Amino acid sequence: MTEATDDTARLAGTLDVALDRLEQARPFAKQRHRGPVLDVLSRLVRKAGGFEPILERAGRMDAAGLFAGSDWDYPSALLPQLVGTTLDSDDARLAALETASLLRLLNIANGTGSHPALGRDHARNFLTQVLALNLKRFFRFSDEASRALDGREEVNARLLRFISDRVGLRDVLGVLVDEIWRILEQRPVQVGAVKDMIAQIAVALNRQGSEPGAERLGAERLVGALFGPTAETRADPGLDAYLDRLGAMDDPGLSREAMGFARSMHDTGLVSDYHVAFLLWTLDNADRDLVPEALGLGSTGLDCWRHYGSLIEDLIRAAVSLYTPQAVYGLSALLDRGVLHYAPIAPALKRVLRIDLCAAVRARIALGFGHETPAATILLAGALEVIGLPLGVGQGANPTCQSARAISMWALNDPDYLLHLVLEAAELDTIQMHFEGTPIESATLPAGLGGAGPIDADPLSVLLVPHLDRIYAEMGRLCAGREGDPHRWINPEFHGWWVRRDCVVAVDVATGRLVDYDGFIARFHQSYHPEHNGNRPLIHPQPAGIAFTDTTGTFVGWHAITILRVAPGRSGEMRVYFYNPNNDSGQDWGCGVAVSTAGNGERHGEASLEFEQFLSRLYLFHDQPQRRSDVAEVPAAAHDRVRRMAQESWASDRMLDAALPAAAWQAGTTLE
Amino acid sequence: MTTKNPEKGYIALLGWSLNAIDAVDRFDRRYVVVAPPWAEEYCTQNDIPFIPWDFDRLNERSHELAHRLKDEGVDVAIPLFEETVEWAGAINSVLLGNPRLLGQSMLFRDKSLMKRRAQLGGIRVGVFEEAHDRGDVIRFLKRVNQTLLKLEGDPNDPIHFKAFDKSGTAGHRVIRTPEDVDNIPDEEFPALLESHLDGWEFAVEAWIKDRKVQFLNISEYVTLGYSVFVPATPELEAHRARITEEIEKLIETFDIDFGFIHPEYFLTSDNKLYFGEVAYRPPGFNALELIERAYGFNGYQGLVLMFDPKTTQDEIDAFFPRAVEDAKGHAGCFGVYPRRRVVSQLAIPEETANHPYFEFHELSDPMEQKVAKRSAFGTHWGLAYFFGEDAHKLRDLLKHQEDLDFYV
Repeated sequence: MTEATDDTARLAGTLDVALDRLEQARPFAKQRHRGPVLDVLSRLVRKAGGFEPILERAGRMDAAGLFAGSDWDYPSALLPQLVGTTLDSDDARLAALETASLLRLLNIANGTGSHPALGRDHARNFLTQVLALNLKRFFRFSDEASRALDGREEVNARLLRFISDRVGLRDVLGVLVDEIWRILEQRPVQVGAVKDMIAQIAVALNRQGSEPGAERLGAERLVGALFGPTAETRADPGLDAYLDRLGAMDDPGLSREAMGFARSMHDTGLVSDYHVAFLLWTLDNADRDLVPEALGLGSTGLDCWRHYGSLIEDLIRAAVSLYTPQAVYGLSALLDRGVLHYAPIAPALKRVLRIDLCAAVRARIALGFGHETPAATILLAGALEVIGLPLGVGQGANPTCQSARAISMWALNDPDYLLHLVLEAAELDTIQMHFEGTPIESATLPAGLGGAGPIDADPLSVLLVPHLDRIYAEMGRLCAGREGDPHRWINPEFHGWWVRRDCVVAVDVATGRLVDYDGFIARFHQSYHPEHNGNRPLIHPQPAGIAFTDTTGTFVGWHAITILRVAPGRSGEMRVYFYNPNNDSGQDWGCGVAVSTAGNGERHGEASLEFEQFLSRLYLFHDQPQRRSDVAEVPAAAHDRVRRMAQESWASDRMLDAALPAAAWQAGTTLE
Repeated sequence: MTTKNPEKGYIALLGWSLNAIDAVDRFDRRYVVVAPPWAEEYCTQNDIPFIPWDFDRLNERSHELAHRLKDEGVDVAIPLFEETVEWAGAINSVLLGNPRLLGQSMLFRDKSLMKRRAQLGGIRVGVFEEAHDRGDVIRFLKRVNQTLLKLEGDPNDPIHFKAFDKSGTAGHRVIRTPEDVDNIPDEEFPALLESHLDGWEFAVEAWIKDRKVQFLNISEYVTLGYSVFVPATPELEAHRARITEEIEKLIETFDIDFGFIHPEYFLTSDNKLYFGEVAYRPPGFNALELIERAYGFNGYQGLVLMFDPKTTQDEIDAFFPRAVEDAKGHAGCFGVYPRRRVVSQLAIPEETANHPYFEFHELSDPMEQKVAKRSAFGTHWGLAYFFGEDAHKLRDLLKHQEDLDFYV
């Protein structure tokens, strides 16, 4: 140990040598001297007590220009979710740079240092989020402090513990729990990452303990939903023991279990493995029908159960497994939506039960979801989840918001068409659509924006997006040469007849500048705002395009969303409720425009903004070609407010005569 | 910004070296960088005083540059690279009104002329000859080995081949066989041929002002082209007085009033000092950085003091430390060259990384997986730096690095 301490002191001295050189070099000559500093840092972090000397020099390293010329030079723009990847980087210097940056933030957070562009609270908040997002690494070695001090994982675990000792674990849990609840409130189809985080919390609570308090309560609710949602599962007995126990239970006991599962599922949107085991057991073993109780059906769902009980049992047997637990929630939501009462849905689901997957599709599903479960099971589970939770569809990390939006829209508005596409794509590995009478066959087209398509999204997206993306791109090609934004023609042809046929665009495609923005503002009010359109509600979801801006209000790219409804929020203000195919709709678009996902009258999966705020980021919407006579004028003050908000964010230089990148026709390409 | 002293000289740096510019920018002399036009944008962005110039060929335009610098008020030009040495000579002959400087710089630029001049000055040199084609090289190789009374079939003693106007180890080849001769590219002719001397090879860095050695450093080579450290071992430093005399001979022979020279010597087993070659510019291999690590003064700033006609002796005495005794330790570096034919990543050997003398490295991940066969000396992939108290330990450590894989 003394040897390690000697090493640490010596390396700290070497760090000073390298740091002196960096410090005294002129800005233009610093680049060469950064490498040696990072090199010494990467060795120092491996030594016992190696973080202290780095922390002591953190402010100096920053001032010396260690971060200059890199993204790390703008600490307020750093993203906590990227930290883990950088720490794991194969490039030891990159990892060292991230380490130095974290310790610099720690130095600011604990008040020892300061930074002109970053406040103490911000630093603290950032570190808390980093810790929350990296709980997994963090606890991996917590009982094994005596392990040999080598290996990147160990170094990173020690770094995170070093930081957490100085920031406080209670904060971390609190932030993480809030974050999980916020995401779950949107009822995403994909919950793998959330379940992973909850598992980490369970480990954390178990190993570390934490003080009682609100955080602990919220954390335990989450952990309970996965590992012990009912009276008999509370102690997490294991599936075999639990199944044994079920056989010995009486009717009221079983009923209590069923309701316990349902309550927990509807509380969180998460399905426990015990719930899966219970549901499958009850099909074969229970004297009484426990399915409606275990699914927690409401009156519509119960009605569907009475009509289609045997189909629903078949669906459970075919779709619900320990690899597809969320199918239970999807099915429950599907039944409560009442879509089984649409004539084509029951036969379409029966067709999906007999699906004959082609080999390429089987391989593709396996690529995304592994080989443990038959592809048909995964696909059926995906269909139940997407139709049950149309607004829970996310695009994954893929530039395919158009396709994700279309899948969500069909699930919401045209579920039998969606099932038709699933069957076509799964059995024939192609999709056929028409564009103004011209047939388009996806199998014959080159890959679109999304390349080979996603494998990190829900099963339906994995199946459909490669086809949809190509078709969408082909429709774009067929519009080549037409004046104006091609979405005008593509959107109705791609999504369905219900997309309004006229299209209003705020931006001139050729120049990227605003055109007739006042007309745009007035028309959106008179088409969508109940107080201006004669109180006519929106019937069908409408595709729309927004200018996506980051937290500073800076334009990032064009993005596709769906306008779902326009209605007063809880405090009476008019709001636009919309669907965003980004995986998390709770986004800060800068300049005070923060998209809300709960607490303002949103239903699960909806995002919402005040009407004018929404309009200030909108650049394209669909409208009916005929103008009505009873529309109300839009006051000049409203025009001014919207115009100002647009101007201070994405449209700041679109008013001028400056040359700008034209609005690309792939306006939906998200850069998120 | 360091305040510039208007009483002192105005310096032109010939050639592009970020390290030199950085050092001079931090010094109290006004300066301007004269470098190829591609550097202009960078200089504008970073407020570096700049005059674009293409040094490709020395022609009548050297006069134009000299007068341009004179009009600018520049007092003296400092060459940073071998290629700018004669430019500096031509320019300084105008700026300082001393036509002799151009001729002097020509001697430094031509290895054969340099060697003859040294010989004329009574400096001991090995056997050497000029080569204009491969035939000359073969002849020299044969003759040297005949002289050594080698029999047909005995392994040859090597000879050294040095392109006339290349600096340092670039263009320096060791020739043992006719096949080695075939491998010499055409563009390396004409060249200087030298017999091989077994012995202790080292370099000297000498800062000269008023025909006097102001500071003398001995850089001990562990293996030529691989590793060097400063100050030298006590055994080599024991010869410091003799070595200083040799430098003074160079000053007389080459008529050096001021500046910086970087000669190489051999100390043979019969305790004789042989002169190898000399350059009138900063050394390669970051030797100035090693000197700074050991002694704490910046070698480029020392160069400026030597060249600036307005420097006073007091300034110089305050600037340089006492040789050897003021050194904080021994600083060395090792030029890494991959030992394997195919490499995929940089992996600092564990024993190196953990050695208390190891400081840091400037190596990066391999750009190519296939390692080109090392031709001539030089072209290492980056340097690893070491520092420690014990010269012998450092020397052995540097030597040992040659047996380790830095790229796997």
